[in-house]
Order: sequence, then C-alpha cells, then structure tokens
Amino acid sequence: MRLALYVTCLVDLMRPSVGFAALRLLETAGCEVVVPAGQTCCGQPAWSAGNRDLAADLARKAIAELEGYDFVVIPSGACADQVRNVYPQLFSDDTAWDQRARALAARTHELTSFLVDVLHFAAPPGEFAGSVTYHDSCKGLRALGVKQQPRQLLLKVPGLSLKEMPDCEECCGFGGAFSVRFGEVSTQIVDRKCESIVLAGADAVVGGDLGCLINIEGRLRRRGDVTTRVLHVAEVLAGGDH
Amino acid sequence: MTGAAQHSQAMFFQARAGASVRNKLLQGALRKAKPLFIGKRAKGMATLADDGLDFEVLRSTAENIRNRVLADLDVWLDIFEQRAKAGGAEVLWARDGAEICDLVIDVARRHGVSKVVKSKSMLSEEAQLNQALAEAGIRPVETDLGEYIVQLAGETPSHIIAPAVHKRIEEVEALFAREHGRPIEQRTSADIPALAREAREVLRQHFLSAEMGISGANFLIAETGSAALVTNEGNGRMVTTLPKVHVVITGIEKIVPTLEDFATLMRLLPRSATGQTISNYVSLLTGTKQPGDSDGPEKTVFILVDNGRVALLGSPYQDILRCIRCGACMNHCPVYFSLGGHAYGWVYPGPMGSVLTPLFTGIENALDLPHASTGCNQCGSVCPVRIPLPELMHRLREAQVERRLRPWSERFLLRAWGWLAGRPILYRWAMRRASRYLNWLADESGRIRIFGLVPGWTAGRDLTPPAGKTFHELYAARKRA
Repeated sequence: MRLALYVTCLVDLMRPSVGFAALRLLETAGCEVVVPAGQTCCGQPAWSAGNRDLAADLARKAIAELEGYDFVVIPSGACADQVRNVYPQLFSDDTAWDQRARALAARTHELTSFLVDVLHFAAPPGEFAGSVTYHDSCKGLRALGVKQQPRQLLLKVPGLSLKEMPDCEECCGFGGAFSVRFGEVSTQIVDRKCESIVLAGADAVVGGDLGCLINIEGRLRRRGDVTTRVLHVAEVLAGGDH
Repeated sequence: MTGAAQHSQAMFFQARAGASVRNKLLQGALRKAKPLFIGKRAKGMATLADDGLDFEVLRSTAENIRNRVLADLDVWLDIFEQRAKAGGAEVLWARDGAEICDLVIDVARRHGVSKVVKSKSMLSEEAQLNQALAEAGIRPVETDLGEYIVQLAGETPSHIIAPAVHKRIEEVEALFAREHGRPIEQRTSADIPALAREAREVLRQHFLSAEMGISGANFLIAETGSAALVTNEGNGRMVTTLPKVHVVITGIEKIVPTLEDFATLMRLLPRSATGQTISNYVSLLTGTKQPGDSDGPEKTVFILVDNGRVALLGSPYQDILRCIRCGACMNHCPVYFSLGGHAYGWVYPGPMGSVLTPLFTGIENALDLPHASTGCNQCGSVCPVRIPLPELMHRLREAQVERRLRPWSERFLLRAWGWLAGRPILYRWAMRRASRYLNWLADESGRIRIFGLVPGWTAGRDLTPPAGKTFHELYAARKRA
C-alpha cells in the first residue's frame, strides 16, 4: 500500500515534528509513505475567505499531486475536511476535474481515522508517562466523525491515562482567519477552553489539529500556565522526541 | 437603503464585539446562561427516546415539512388566507416594516385604540413597531417578562427566546423599582418569582385596559387558518383573548400545511428552545369570538409579511426560511456566548442572525457577520430543521468576494499568498525564511508575545515559534542522509 502524506502548511512551518510523527506512525503500521514534494497548502484559507476561484486553483494543484496514491493521509481534520468535503463542491461546471476531485476525496483520510477505520491499527509505538485530555477539533468531529479513533489509539499507549475535560467538543475559538479578524472574541472563547483543560488536570492537552493546538497553547501560556504540555495526537502516538 | 438597513448597526460589529467582550457584567450574565441553555436542550432531546423517536429522523421529517411549504409557498398562503377569512379574520399583506407599521396603526385608529398589549414578536422588532406606535400616540406594552424588562430599559431583545438574557437581577430590580414607584431592595435569584409576580400584577391592569393585542405566531396552519402560539408565561393567552382586537404579525414563511405537521414540529420546537417536551401554553387561534364563546377578540387581523423573505425563495439562501426561531443555534454558538445578542447589531443574533441580517438588510450593510463564525458547526448540528448555517454564512462570504466588498488589503494578501502557494520552490524558500524569522522573534522565554503581522492574535495569546527549520527542509535533509 502506497500512500501520500500531506503534512499541511501549518505543520511544515510551525511544527515539523507532527509531520515526522505521522510518518513514523504510518510506517510502523506497514505503509509505504511518500511525501509528495510539491505540496504547499490545500487552499482552505482561500475557501474560508469566500474566494472560490483561488480555492479551486489550489485544489487542482493538490489533486494533481496527490491522486496517484492508494490513500492520502493528513494529520489535520480541517485540511482533510477540505479535501474530502470541499473539493467535490468546487468543480460543478467541470466534469473532468469534478471526477478527479471526488476520486481523491474518497481516498483521503484524517490520520487517526485512517489508522483505526482503514488500517485497524492498534499498536502505536509511543510511550507517555502521564495523563492527557483530548480536545475534539470541530472539523474532525462534526465534518468527519473523528471522535473515538484518537481516544482508542491513545489508550493503547503504555503509561498514558485519559482524563476527559468538560465540554471537550466545544470549539477552541481558532477558526483560522477568525482568530486574527476577531482576536478578542477568539481569546474569550479559548479562555473557556483553557478553563476546561485546567479542570481536567491532565499533564497534556492533545488534539488532532495544529491550528487549534497553537491557539490553545498560546492562551495557556499567556494565562501563565507553562506546565501543561500541548501535543498533537500524532506526537503522542509516535513517541520519540516530541 | 431599506428601512431595515437604516436601523441596523451590523456594520459596527467589530467595535460592538470588542465592547461586549470587555463588559464584565454582560460576560457574567452570559456565563450563567450558557450551561443552562445547553443542558436543558440536551435533557429535552433525551426524552425523545421515551416516545420512541430519534432526533436525526425527526429533524429530517421537520426539514421536509418546511421544504414542502417553501416549494409551494404561494399555494399554502392562498389556502391559509381563504381558511382564515372563512373563520372571520381579516388578512392583510405587508411588503416591509414600514407597511407593517402603517397597517397596524390603521387598524388601531379604526378601533379607537390608545393602548396595545404585545406578546413576543420578532417581526415587530424588524419593523420597529413600538417606536411607530408611540409616535402615533398609541402606547405599546410588552407583556413577555423578558420583553417587558427590555422595554423598560429602552433596549432591544438580545436573544430571540430569552430577550433579557443579558440582564442581571440587580438591573431588573432597579428598573422595576423605578417603573413601579418603590424603593430598591437587595435581591437574589431566590427573588425572581417575587419580581415576576410584581410584573404580573402591573401587566394585568394593562391586559384589562388595552383595546388591542399584538402577537406573533410560531406557525400559521394552512389547513385551519389558525395561528399557533407557543408560550410559557400565559401572557400570550391574555394578549390574544382579552382585548377586542387581536393583530397577528408574522412572516409568510411561518406556514405549515396541516395540524399534523404542526404536531411534528412541536416535538422539536420546545425541546430545541428550552428543553421542554411541550411549552406551558400552546394556543391555536382561529377566527374571531363566535356566539357562545366565553372569550376571544371581536376582530382578528393577520398581517403576513415579506420584508425580504420572497427574495430568498429559489435563491442559494432558501434554507434559512425553514427556521422555526427556536434559538438553539445561538445557544450553542461560542461567538454568541462571547458577545451576547446586541453586538450583532440588528434584530436577530447568533448564527441565524449572521445569515438573516445581511440578507434582510443588505449584504453590504453587514460585512462582518458572515465572518463572525469559527466554522465549528455547533449550530448546524443542533438545528431542528437542519439548516446548514455555516454553509449559508460561507455563501455570503463568497457573495462579498464576488461583489468586491472585501477590503483591498485582504484581497491583496490572499492573492499574494495564493500566488506563492502555487509555486512550490518559491513557497519552500519563503517558508524557510518565515521559520527562521519567527524563531528569531521569540523573547528570552522562548515565546513570541508581540507579533505585528497579527496583532489581534498576540494581544491575548503567546505564539510558540517554530524551531527554525521547516518540515520539508528537514525531510529533504533526512532523505539525503
């Protein structure tokens, strides 16, 4: 099985370790993993801003790069949602591209749901001495049905215990450009999320989308919490130097 | 500019949002309300299973009922008009808010009305009816407790089913003391029943002396020509039965074909709104007082209102017309609960407001609202008629782009970024520079506390900088090794 790992633009720039963790996980699960060289961004920010043409341009680029593989795996619910659910909406007036978009969408998966639902993988190589609380990112949860998959995998990690926070399905207030456009509102929302995390009393907060994690980490630190670790689920599952 | 656009403050969303976030008292009120709203709905929905019902199945049925109406709205309205007239009611049509006001004032003058008691009607807010009535020398008295409080405060509702959710008990106490001419007392939440009793006594006098009652309608039932009213305080019954004239003001989309359809929707409406399996009062108001009836109005007038709704039929936004005004979308919205309803600047707050306000008052008059969403879809997943609220907000964003209504700076940034993202070699280079730059920006604690490119971000958050090398850079090095 040959699959393409789409690391996402945010992981590329802000936290490469997430990409390497995803790579290690997929290889441990027995996949032949390729990181297509030309990948940049899936176009979600353009789509979210309402710029359909630009979103379609970047979708064409991504489709051409990613369609030659058995699967495409993305360590982000938001970007996987873009490929799975948005790409097929972009080419209603172009049958050829529409078909390519739909074919790619059907082969594209968020990382933890791919590991659990497609590969039935249950032996993550990581170790974690401590407790974690899991934040359900909105797109993964509500657009892709990612809920139990990361928890199932996390509970297989030796030494790890799961302490659910209250309102784990509540939005963290990131929303991409939302957090820049409406910084104060976003801060207010992530404050509530931080309170839930504090209530959970875990050693680390874990999630599947780097955007949410950067947002949560940023607010936790500003509030003076320098001890709660903020980790991508791939980093915990893969172990190593996170 | 339409009348609605003139009284909309939606263009000032940013400023109003900032003020709301910084308003500690408002924040306190919202924090108290949120878990109550969410908890009550969850409990209410859990009771569906007792009746062997499933939320997803039921809301598909509800969605279909509403879609069926919208597909042939003219036909259902025609049937409704005939049946309502047969029951003795008068049916009038209003194109916009100004026409609503004119019609209501005309009916009032014809019947020598000097005081009007009102049950909750968001459409009268769209029309700014209270102001128009006052200017015409007719006193409007709001009788829903929340609306009564808001009216005393000279404000507008901040929530469609809990109009005074932004008010704290101390504020209500001060308003009541002033209005009812008594000294201010120390109050706790244990005194809420006493305050409600006090309002009830005052309102009773108004019910008995008003010559006209105005209500909205939760639904219009085509089959019987009835207005359905769903309330909890009993004021709706007073408003619609005691005064000699009853005026129902409602949007044309509120129609449902049959009583059975109404019953189906009633399984969802109270549960979605307050978690109740059924509201304290459900009234079906048909026609006028007949010989032998113990109560009821001598005159019933329906004012059926367009005010922007017809234009949405057959448009990409038609789904919003399914809305049954339960408030679940705002009750589950992180943005609403950070701001309260007034920040949204017009009649309807929360996700449904972020869709309706631009559509009813002009897309160009509410540019921020479709963007005032994290895209979390907590609203869409609780909507009892399955309105894809984030999708509709998204379409409005696209409409802004198509009409070139976005600021040039945003358009430029997006284009520059898109250009770069289409050129991998250049993009790699730019990201390497960005990674090093961000790394260099970090202070001695290893974090970025002020970042001029996104000041809104670092106003409330630190940014943890990257290690200085991008994934693709490290991956290429690893492959070479």
